[in-house]
Amino acid sequence: MTAALVDVPVLQAPPRRARVWRWFGRYGALLVLALLVVGTSALEPETFATWDNFINILNQSALSAIIAMGLTFALVTGEFDLSIGNVASLSGVLACTAMVSHDVSIPVAFGLAVVIGAVVGLANGLVVTLLNVNALVATLGIGTVAVGVNYAVAGGLPVSLTDPAPFIQITLGRFLGIPYPVFIMLGLAAVLWFVLNRTVLGQSMQAVGGNPVAAQLSGIRVDRVRVVAFVICGICAALTGLLLASRTGSAAVSGGDTYLLAAFAAAFFGSAVLRDGEFHIIGTLVGVITVSVGFNAIALIGLETYWQYLFQGLLLILGVGVGSLARHRAAAAH
Amino acid sequence: MVETTPLDGPTAPTVTDPPCLEMSGISKQFGGHQALEDVSITLHPGRVLALCGANGAGKSTLVRILAGVESADAGTIRVRGQEETVASPGDATRLGLSFIHQELNLVPKFTALQNIAMGADHPRRTGVLDLRGLRRKALAVMDRIGYSVPLDAKVEQLSVSDRWMVSLARSLMRDASIVAMDEPTASFTQEEADRLYGIVDELTADGVGILYISHRLEEVLHVSDDVTVLRNGRLVGSYAARDLDVASLTRHIVGRDVEDLTHRVTDTDPTAAPVLLRTSGLTREPRVRDVDLTIHEGEILGVAGLVGAGRTELARLLIGADAAHAGSMTLDGRPYRPGSPSDGIKAGVALVPEERRSQGLVLRSSVASNITMASMRDPRRRLGTFSPRRAAATARDAVSRFGVKTSSVHDAVGHLSGGNQQKVVVSKCVLTGPRLLILDEPTVGVDVGARGEIYDIIRDLAASGTSILMISSDFDELAICDRVVVMREGALTHSVPASRATKDHLTSLCFGTTEHLGTTEQDPS
Repeated sequence: MTAALVDVPVLQAPPRRARVWRWFGRYGALLVLALLVVGTSALEPETFATWDNFINILNQSALSAIIAMGLTFALVTGEFDLSIGNVASLSGVLACTAMVSHDVSIPVAFGLAVVIGAVVGLANGLVVTLLNVNALVATLGIGTVAVGVNYAVAGGLPVSLTDPAPFIQITLGRFLGIPYPVFIMLGLAAVLWFVLNRTVLGQSMQAVGGNPVAAQLSGIRVDRVRVVAFVICGICAALTGLLLASRTGSAAVSGGDTYLLAAFAAAFFGSAVLRDGEFHIIGTLVGVITVSVGFNAIALIGLETYWQYLFQGLLLILGVGVGSLARHRAAAAH
Repeated sequence: MVETTPLDGPTAPTVTDPPCLEMSGISKQFGGHQALEDVSITLHPGRVLALCGANGAGKSTLVRILAGVESADAGTIRVRGQEETVASPGDATRLGLSFIHQELNLVPKFTALQNIAMGADHPRRTGVLDLRGLRRKALAVMDRIGYSVPLDAKVEQLSVSDRWMVSLARSLMRDASIVAMDEPTASFTQEEADRLYGIVDELTADGVGILYISHRLEEVLHVSDDVTVLRNGRLVGSYAARDLDVASLTRHIVGRDVEDLTHRVTDTDPTAAPVLLRTSGLTREPRVRDVDLTIHEGEILGVAGLVGAGRTELARLLIGADAAHAGSMTLDGRPYRPGSPSDGIKAGVALVPEERRSQGLVLRSSVASNITMASMRDPRRRLGTFSPRRAAATARDAVSRFGVKTSSVHDAVGHLSGGNQQKVVVSKCVLTGPRLLILDEPTVGVDVGARGEIYDIIRDLAASGTSILMISSDFDELAICDRVVVMREGALTHSVPASRATKDHLTSLCFGTTEHLGTTEQDPS
């Protein structure tokens, strides 16, 4: 009774379609960047496709990239950090106050920023691991405390250096015609990439983010790994805050706050770059640069500022959405 | 009652009722892999059809096609003689098909009744849930299966078997006439399993057709009327259950003879070897009470007990995942107080946890990452650097040593079959160089062939001096142990030498039903 039944033709998905979708999932985000570059080059060949503008775009990316790469560490371990914007503001204000009121040198101010970032990151990490508070809540709380400290110190007013020239030189200075922040960004990217991909600590972070229970039973000290991720995240945020202050030689009380959403957007967009929805340093860097290229193009073409928000929002939705869709399609057509 | 099969040729069916479900000529390809090729099954109302096969044989793909989760490349599905298209789970439900998986789709914070209500077609009055009508209907269903679950208890507070019953009740509320059960007894106690068999009888008496999927072959033969065996995506044959025994069924599943699990032949008494680990008065309320345990070097020590007897909790104390409330441990005669699994692993204790997918593996990571996860830290590399190339080489060695079947060590471990995933977890633990390896239910959801390979690994490790603590609810497999201790309600009650560790004997000890045995058994130490 099994032989005589008629076969029902069923649509058979060719494996080629799976390959196309998989390619799209991994390289789609890069394709967006390429299209942006090619399109703007065609529209504005005189101003966009030049070496100077390329360096300019990297320079524009540097501060966002540093804070976003730090955030990537928290995201890789499966956590969130909502305090990074506030930490950036706090570190700028405290370091500038130290330079103004206590006359500390610029290297010491940098050291101070690192310590501030590490302390806030440690606080985040300990609240999350010891008190077992959800990371969203913990970092929201710690971030708000950071705002309070910030206002207590600065009284809500910008802290301006009396002789800002050497401080400003950190972000305006150039070596071989390339601004220092570009070197800082690339150097930090190399270090952070190494930590995440070529150290036991980085592998442990990825394991903890993948399955904390399995990681713990495999002998990984999950809580310790999480705390370290928060500390790295805090330090990067603090560095961004100090570099931001150095741009103008003065620290605004909420100067770093806008970096919060930009960093999240870049990291999430980056999770769709080359990987199947995993956070990684290169992806985050591509995410930041894609946003910068878009902003640069909007400015050069002469569109109004609101286009920046439309662009950034849509980029995030499309980058993550299309990546996710492509993975599902690839799995379905598999 | 032999069914017609392409292999056996048509035999006159003695079943009078027309089949309630026929799947014919089903084929399905994933990428280049032929998951199913021309597979046919026939289920009659009021009968139990068992679907057997090793992991990767195509059972789950077939069930997923029936459930409307996957679509077949070719083939037809007939329900009650009518050809049907099952394009979505909704279609399946409308056709009276119902599926009870191992992972039950229940909301833990909802009560049993709320979960039962989540199904389609519940009574409504002007869009408002008619809870009273629903409760009446649910009670009627419970009455029908002769077992009742506390309807107002939150599902998270129910036992695994009660949760399963909630799932079943939800299916029956929708008047399911065909119920597929996937490894229903995987975490049931014997008593609960017996109750399930009774319920299966009730359902079949009502004319429900049951598709029964289980790795436990004795159970399959006990419960089912017909058995269809798949191997590598093809139909091996369909048989009447009464014509089969465990050996012949295993032969059909594996395609070759499998050596019987014989008692380990040891020329030396393993309990004469030096003691590796000793616990005294180890306690963590409420599950572990005053446990005195001794494990010798190179000994395979089994731990028998019912689910919930405290065996997993004991394993967690030994590795350091939980802290003991009282008692002490020594390892090699030195005090052993692990504060975390990290301490445990450093001291030479490793654990293959009960739930490999949720506790043993990072599913989206590669085979290589998973295998090296517990042994990344190399004391010779003080900076803690990590080399992917070295990790891949280590993983390749382990993959060939332990027979993990994967096309590359860079594949995501989530894509492997259950048996191969388990071998990855075992490899991960062995690479830490353990002196004591604890395995918690190492062969649950593992097919017959891979099971044998895991036993071989365990025997080899023990032969090279590693001590093994094996927790299992499958008392047949405890035959590979040198000695079996029985745990009941948190305490060790008996220690049984290998020669006396038969399934019946262990089962009765677990239930505490044989009082006179206390005198014949040695003290559990």
